[in-house]
Amino acid sequence: MRRDKSLPLTETVYYILLALTEPTHGYVLMQKVEELSNGQVRLAAGTLYGAVENLLKKGFIVSIPSDDARRKVYAISQEGEKILHADYQRMTHMLSVTEKILNGSEFK
Amino acid sequence: MKKIKFFLNFQKEEKWLKQMAAQGYQLKKQGPIYTFEPAPPKQTNIKIDYRHFKKQQDFLNYRSIFEDSGWQHISGTKNSGNQYFKQIDDNSYDDIFSDTTSRAGRYKRLANMMLFMFVIILPLVIISSTKGTLGIDIFLNPRTLYYTPGLWERSGLEFWQAFLFETPFALMRGLSSSISLAILISYVLLTIKSLTLYRKASKSSGNK
Repeated sequence: MRRDKSLPLTETVYYILLALTEPTHGYVLMQKVEELSNGQVRLAAGTLYGAVENLLKKGFIVSIPSDDARRKVYAISQEGEKILHADYQRMTHMLSVTEKILNGSEFK
Repeated sequence: MKKIKFFLNFQKEEKWLKQMAAQGYQLKKQGPIYTFEPAPPKQTNIKIDYRHFKKQQDFLNYRSIFEDSGWQHISGTKNSGNQYFKQIDDNSYDDIFSDTTSRAGRYKRLANMMLFMFVIILPLVIISSTKGTLGIDIFLNPRTLYYTPGLWERSGLEFWQAFLFETPFALMRGLSSSISLAILISYVLLTIKSLTLYRKASKSSGNK
């Protein structure tokens, strides 16, 4: 099976896509990414904006109509859900194969 | 207070604006002249992004993301490229970029813009140079700028009189093509310089 060239997703992109399973605007997205990553991924405004623009271009997220003219609301697209799921499976496999090999060793 | 200065290096520009603020001059507006407002000297964190926007709404949304996260937009328009931000919340992230790639990305967008300007201007310069009067050939053969019939066959006082009389006009003719050529060359240099800054910024990790 040929793997999608967007895989593996970066940590930032993974958390953005995961956060956008619930549509929201830029600033809340920043906070959600921080929260989901346990404070590990803290995005600054310019970096988040660039990442969002990039994901819009790739079609992994869409901007949906909102009441606030000053703030766009973003949501994950079908395409984005597919790639998120594919990366989730990739990581699940990594976890299971790692556990199998290192099972019982001091690593556990 | 107004100041004229030209920066391509965003880090240097940020540093200068920080120094100005520490001396009691807060940036109010930029483009193309810097306008400062006298204010009590203050430690101010100013950062610059480089972006153009297709729609006004895109620009508003962009500014909202910064303002919601503690960075006030001080100067810049939808099409200005340079966007100036001031940190107004001490608890917010102390930079507008959190990784090297995005911090360097602004130089990439700047280089693309400079290259775009070059590509736009190039045909204009080529067209004017093929028309003869405003050409590159005037640099190879400046004599063509002089229109007096038989000027170059004259000699002595007769030559110098006619030559000096026409020189101001010849310079005027030469000037416009010199300017367009100079602009074209500047854009080549600006593109190269911003690409150099891009490479440098891509390599430096954690260096703000």
